[in-house]
Amino acid sequence: MLKNYIKIAWRNIWKTKGFSTINILGLAVGMTACFLIALYVNFERSYDRYHSKADRIYRLVCDIKTPTETINANITSGPMAMYAAKDLPEIENFARLLPNSLLIRKDNIKYQESKLFFADSTLFQLFDFPMVAGNPATALKEPFSVVLSESAAKKYFGKEDPMGKSLLLTDDSFNSKVTGVIKDIPENSQFKGDVFVSMVTLIKMANFKFDEQWGNFGFTSYVLTKPNTDPSLLTTKFPAFLTSRVGKEMDQMKMHYSLFLEPLKEVYLYSKRGGFESGNINNVYIFAIVALFILLIACINFINLSTARAIERAKEVGIRKVVGAYRMQITRQFISESVLICLLAFIISLLLCLVLIPYFNYLAGKEISGGIFFHPIYIIILFLLACLIGLLAGIYPALVLSSFKPVTVLKGKFSSNAKGLLLRKTLVIVQFVVSIALIAGTLIVHRQLGYMRNQNLGFNKEQMLVLQTNGDAKSRILKDAVASVPGVLSNSVSGAVPGGENPVAYSEIENKQGDMQIANLPVYFVDYNYIPLYKIKLVAGRIFSPDFGTDTAQAMILNESAVKLFGYSKPEDAIGKKYSQWGSEGKIIGVIKDFHFKSLQSKIEPLSMRYGQGNGGGLVSIKIEGQHINAALQAIERKWHDIIPNRPFEYFFADEFFDRQYRAENRFGGLFLNFAVLAIFISCLGLFGLVSYNTTQRYREIGIRKVLGASVSTIVQLLSIDFLQLVCISILVASPLMWFFMSKWLADFAYHIDISWWIFAIAGSIAVGIALVVITSLTIKAAMENPVKSLRSE
Amino acid sequence: MIKITELQKYYRTEEVETVALNSLSIDVQKGEFVAVMGPSGCGKSTLLNIIGLLDDLDEGSYKFNDIEVAKFNERKRSDLRKHNIGFVFQSFNLIDELTVFENVELPLIYTKVPAAERKKRVEEVLEKVQIMHRRNHFPQQLSGGQQQRVAVARAVVNNPKLILADEPTGNLDSNNGNEVMQLLTELNDQGTTIVMVTHSEHDARYSDRIIRMLDGQVVMTTVG
Repeated sequence: MLKNYIKIAWRNIWKTKGFSTINILGLAVGMTACFLIALYVNFERSYDRYHSKADRIYRLVCDIKTPTETINANITSGPMAMYAAKDLPEIENFARLLPNSLLIRKDNIKYQESKLFFADSTLFQLFDFPMVAGNPATALKEPFSVVLSESAAKKYFGKEDPMGKSLLLTDDSFNSKVTGVIKDIPENSQFKGDVFVSMVTLIKMANFKFDEQWGNFGFTSYVLTKPNTDPSLLTTKFPAFLTSRVGKEMDQMKMHYSLFLEPLKEVYLYSKRGGFESGNINNVYIFAIVALFILLIACINFINLSTARAIERAKEVGIRKVVGAYRMQITRQFISESVLICLLAFIISLLLCLVLIPYFNYLAGKEISGGIFFHPIYIIILFLLACLIGLLAGIYPALVLSSFKPVTVLKGKFSSNAKGLLLRKTLVIVQFVVSIALIAGTLIVHRQLGYMRNQNLGFNKEQMLVLQTNGDAKSRILKDAVASVPGVLSNSVSGAVPGGENPVAYSEIENKQGDMQIANLPVYFVDYNYIPLYKIKLVAGRIFSPDFGTDTAQAMILNESAVKLFGYSKPEDAIGKKYSQWGSEGKIIGVIKDFHFKSLQSKIEPLSMRYGQGNGGGLVSIKIEGQHINAALQAIERKWHDIIPNRPFEYFFADEFFDRQYRAENRFGGLFLNFAVLAIFISCLGLFGLVSYNTTQRYREIGIRKVLGASVSTIVQLLSIDFLQLVCISILVASPLMWFFMSKWLADFAYHIDISWWIFAIAGSIAVGIALVVITSLTIKAAMENPVKSLRSE
Repeated sequence: MIKITELQKYYRTEEVETVALNSLSIDVQKGEFVAVMGPSGCGKSTLLNIIGLLDDLDEGSYKFNDIEVAKFNERKRSDLRKHNIGFVFQSFNLIDELTVFENVELPLIYTKVPAAERKKRVEEVLEKVQIMHRRNHFPQQLSGGQQQRVAVARAVVNNPKLILADEPTGNLDSNNGNEVMQLLTELNDQGTTIVMVTHSEHDARYSDRIIRMLDGQVVMTTVG
């Protein structure tokens, strides 16, 4: 029996190649999208779950409250985790990481290692990073001990055994010893270090007594709780702990700390405080929903085309019943046929995945999958899913087909009933609602991205080359040297550039009431040339100048937001007021216009600028004439090698650097676009099938109308209008839905576009346009047909 | 074999009720060859469909081999059909996607005959209707006469006790038509009961008895 089913199913598929292609391709594409998104969702959810103690590890985070603001930091100061582990019995162990970027050298090999962490020796007791060589318990105990990832070990030592060998750290050539090699940290980890340097090295290298400086933040701290510890109960003990350890200091500084625990497994996706790498649970949900929708569209196609085509199979059903088939047997036959089609789609989907996974990795910006064969369980699930879709999508057509009365269908009196037609129309509307929603979503995401890219940021980043000396002492000499390179218009050295990291300093500023108001202010250390170079506007006072000897140590410039924070309604009023910051005291000499020194996702914060030559970053910004960029770059590189030969040449362009903040959004937009295209493609396949079927059904009607004098255009209109109506209804349903969801998405951006009505008009027009092309291409052909042909066939 | 008494059959639309068969009573004996004749719309095909359990009756009684079958559910009807009745239609009604062999094999599949036995019986019956050489062809590759021979083969492959033929020669030229009538006569000679609806006086002459109908009623019965 089954053989007979498969045989006839296969012959049917072959006979109606067009329909079959639509059915199989639509389903395959839907399944592929679903498969890829499932990989993505699973990958995002898998972060840090592989550690055996993951359930007991928490990230310790800190809220820092000053009289004017609260900072929700994802970091702590050095002593916090250490003393918490000492004082609170629930904490079994702790490990801290301090990210850094150091110059590392071995003979002629030199790299500026940005995936570098100073780490406590307990790191490998908390986290499961398998050691290939060395002792996890002692590897990071001694000063100047270094643990490398396998990749880093290969980079520096090739095939040599790195254990016990020496690496030179920083330009000062601190001699360190490799004490361990770990397997490369998996992609789904919130921190992916290549080099771990023992934390105690900091004491020897920089005389940094991190265990005692409660106000010095920067450490990412993890604590391991004892089994069965209730984290919320533990959190309630933090205030007393902080008061006993650092209460006085907090009162003096008018700063209040609060500690919280974030489960390790939730840090990546759920924490609103960010971290080394953060995901977004909303995006995961959005994609999961999109995947389900695409699969839904594909299934709808399948049901629609199968039931529509039911009439063509009616005669076969009639005959089978006449020769003795039970209704159940017919139902089973059509379900097996539908499962067979789904299994074909499954095979095609596997091939598509095989081809598309590298592209998908590229789109998602991470190595989500090494290939389809890395996921045997997924393949099995997809296989079962294919069977299930076949079953679900097959049941309705099977029931419809098997309910045919043989005598009716064999007499040719059968026609599709109104209920079936209504169902098909509803399903088409659902498909187009999803497609239009995705088109509108894509338009909104891309418009927001465009808005962010083209917004006036308040500074000029065009043709600005930035050399990253990583705080090299000779950055100023380099800056002076490159000034003479042809094509260089102007340059400056600073500690930070827009879109990058900057320190945040405990500051006291004289406010309108004459009090010294405490605030944590981001601080840019810049030279005399920085403000004019970046074309940042001055609104009051003056910029730093060599004409004033005090500017190097006793002058500060604020932005408009900072001035407002301290209560001044006019920028001029802030000039001459006192400041105290990080041991420096002096006066406010100028106020600059607000500029976006962070991405447009966040509001422009208060900012302070002080004179300093490359403190921290040692970034040399160079404005270059457009036509000379390549030559200038080569000349600059030569200067670099002359002046700081120990460091590898590192540079970036300010505009690209700033836009890098939108990488996640760009990826989101890219993925959205791809899935929208898929959805509309599958919907159109379905529409194509339905229209062509409908047209065939009305073959005789078309003939009669033509005999009675109807023109081609009136017939095309007649055949198209029904479907266009459906698309229009879809627009009406999709628009408010999408408006609601995309408003929520946009709310995450401090600066965003308004959703205007015309976005939906465009999305609708695109859908109507595509539908129109599909519909008219089919109906024109039918309308041009010679009526004699259709009438004779009756 | 067939005893129908006081059969009523209506066709209802929203506004009109049409009487298709009106107080119709007939008897068909085992081994008989009966032709049903009458103008278009007189109800002869409806009668045939009711006899074949493809259609329901509204009132009256229908006994098949002395068993009342009028109230049978669909499954019982299927069972009765596949074991007892073979159908031949004017438009052949072969499944286009199946070959000659597979079309004829179909009733045997539904009666769960083992594959080897099926092969034997299909080949026998194909030999009998002289279409064996076309066993692997699809219906569209055959002439009308050949298609109808396949349809007859399919109708008889299960050795049914009754064959219902609805204008079996209606779509055939006279040569092919005669061949098909010859086949039916041979089957009748071997003991199969045949009820045939026809417009053709010529075909009706092959039968033992002609039932003439008008407006849903039997108006005359003559010996063929």
